Amino acid sequence: MKQFLIFIGKILIALLASALILDFGYTYIYSNSIGRNKVENVINTNNKKFDVIMMGSSRANNHFVSQLFIDKGYKAFNYGISGSKLQETALLLQLMINNDYEIKNLILEVDLNINSDSFSFGNQAKYMPFITTNSLVSNYYQNKLSDYNYVKYIPFYRYIKYEPQIGFREMFFSLIKRPSNSLHNYGLFPLMNEGKNMSHDLTDKTPKRNLSYELIKKTCKENNIKLIVVTTPVCENTKGIDYFRKINTIYPEILNYENSVVEDKYFSSCGHLNYEGAKLLTSKIINDFF
Amino acid sequence: MFFNSLSFAIFLPIVFLLYWLVFNKNKTTQNAVLIVASYYFYSCWDWRFLFLLVFSTLLDYFSAIMMENSSSDKKRKLWLWITIGINLGFLGVFKYYDFFAQSFADLLQGFGFQANPVLLKLILPVGISFYTFHGLSYVIDIYYKRITAERNFIDYSLFVSYFPLLVAGPIERATHLLPQVKIKRHFNFEKAKEGVYQIIWGLVKKVVIADSCATYANAVFDNYESMNSLSLALGAVYFAFQIYGDFSGYSDIALGTSKLFGIDLLKNFNYPYFSRDIAEFWRRWHISLSSWFRDYLYIPLGGSQGGMWMKVRNTFIIFLVSGFWHGANWTFIIWGLLNAIYFLPLLLQNKNRSNMGEIEMGWDLGSVKTILNILGTFALTTIAWIFFRAKSISEAVGYIQKMVTDLHFKSEYLSNERYNFELVLLVLAFVVVEWFNRSKVEPLSGKASWVKVTLAIMALLALGVYSDYKEFIYFQF
Repeated sequence: MKQFLIFIGKILIALLASALILDFGYTYIYSNSIGRNKVENVINTNNKKFDVIMMGSSRANNHFVSQLFIDKGYKAFNYGISGSKLQETALLLQLMINNDYEIKNLILEVDLNINSDSFSFGNQAKYMPFITTNSLVSNYYQNKLSDYNYVKYIPFYRYIKYEPQIGFREMFFSLIKRPSNSLHNYGLFPLMNEGKNMSHDLTDKTPKRNLSYELIKKTCKENNIKLIVVTTPVCENTKGIDYFRKINTIYPEILNYENSVVEDKYFSSCGHLNYEGAKLLTSKIINDFF
Repeated sequence: MFFNSLSFAIFLPIVFLLYWLVFNKNKTTQNAVLIVASYYFYSCWDWRFLFLLVFSTLLDYFSAIMMENSSSDKKRKLWLWITIGINLGFLGVFKYYDFFAQSFADLLQGFGFQANPVLLKLILPVGISFYTFHGLSYVIDIYYKRITAERNFIDYSLFVSYFPLLVAGPIERATHLLPQVKIKRHFNFEKAKEGVYQIIWGLVKKVVIADSCATYANAVFDNYESMNSLSLALGAVYFAFQIYGDFSGYSDIALGTSKLFGIDLLKNFNYPYFSRDIAEFWRRWHISLSSWFRDYLYIPLGGSQGGMWMKVRNTFIIFLVSGFWHGANWTFIIWGLLNAIYFLPLLLQNKNRSNMGEIEMGWDLGSVKTILNILGTFALTTIAWIFFRAKSISEAVGYIQKMVTDLHFKSEYLSNERYNFELVLLVLAFVVVEWFNRSKVEPLSGKASWVKVTLAIMALLALGVYSDYKEFIYFQF
């Protein structure tokens, strides 16, 4: 039996050593990668200067055409991330500040993402490789993750938990430096199709006070960043459209651009403008503020 | 509690330590701790079905004794049929009643009659097909006087409810398992070490191979109408490896776990995808079930005695029953029928036992033929698996039709956000590892075992699928 317990002990050592080696390897690779997604790009770069950046969910990622700002002579980048909630957006902005980004204007899309203080599992995953190496990420998630101690201290646990997002496949692509399209077009992911038979229902959604949004406001104020907060369009056939009016009852400073693009031909789906619609929306914002 | 769950990783060491260090006084205490552990293990799914397990145990235990005590053959036969009837009755109610009721209603509707069948919609007790067959083999063996009835209730209870095999086999025989539980087990380091290797390899098969393949196979099967030929062919191959990795991985963990308690279980898989014909495949796939049907159905039906017609009839019966055993759906019956059809040419030419020996490979034409035979057998098996995996016969037919008529072979992006070809390398690597270790129980033992174990652990950590948790396929049977 003693021999067997020693054998099991060796297996456990092999398990621990494997987890440590893999954890170190994955973390090293992600710490040296900038081409796969916007989160690692921000964490692994510094001293960037922007006249304007755009942040938010896919409704920022697909809607704000950085090139139109650049054509006007502004240095711009779209940091909107599909699926992202304001919790991840707030952290991304703090990471930019932490890495000495100089930002003059931030256009923040706040609409459907303000109805809860929730998080996006898929986008949260992108921060996890850095939870042991970046104190800002670590502190940010300390009270937000129920299994924070497991994620931070059990080697390789985070890569197992978030395997579809930061597991072997993503690590391998980072290792071979296969670029993704998330950084193309100055961060814009344009949607090229024209939607058909579109509809949407917002009746079950209610805008609420959002702590992450308030954190973003605070961060901008402390760092002299001009914050322009906008809602963006949905298609005409949307039930509960007064959702956008309700947002203003909680946060009057949010500017309603919901109705700035109307015709269905400018939509890819009910919640997303296509490229032509995105150009229209961006042009209106540029005309209003720049 | 699944073998690949954290709760099992806690449960197993506790039972192991209690078994060897606390309750190691004699075989009764050893058996008692295993029974308690087994009942706890089973109750983790649904404690209410414990009553079914206990009832099945009591029924087979007492009916075997009554059978043995009977003075006449008539009484023995009566006890046998009562036991078989009740056992199959439970199986029928829980597993097949709704299927028969619905099929009968559909048939009536086909003749223009309106029928609204009363469906029970019962939850299927996990492992019921396995422990029912387990108990049946025991009473049939008693009836034929191959063994004597077990009088020690604790020993018999353990034979029925032993947790490594309780929910998905292997389907044990009293002649093999009972003698082992009737003696005190002494700790054997080499056997326990083999067990650990087998558990690790079983986990690799399940978590790395089967669950990875499952994400791709599901993405293809769930959207087969929009897939091209390449995706559909790969989807079928992925499912073939999913079900193999899943079930043989489960069996490996079961056998390995049992070795930790000093008990050997029947081998259930012997590298079936290296079979040279379909008869050999069925000697290598789910061996405990195939041999069960051979011994308790095929041979009592007359087996290969009585001429070619009888052989063909009996072969079709066991394949159809085997298909039906897997589930109450016509897809399983067609799967069984297809395998019977594959088997038929070998039977008619008396070639069903021509590939009994080990696979010999060299640099000659014979080896090329062997490889082609292996690939051909795998292709036939994979086509049959499409029926096994599909939700309906029309879906399976549609899948195959699209696969052979679409004739587009471009890479496709699947709904699991992966390209259809991405898993091919992993599957090939798995095949290569299995091929070069086909004479062994698992590939981790032998030379450089620590390197191989460490690589297996790394594969488990890095390549395992943990996010999209999948239970073992055979638990539903």
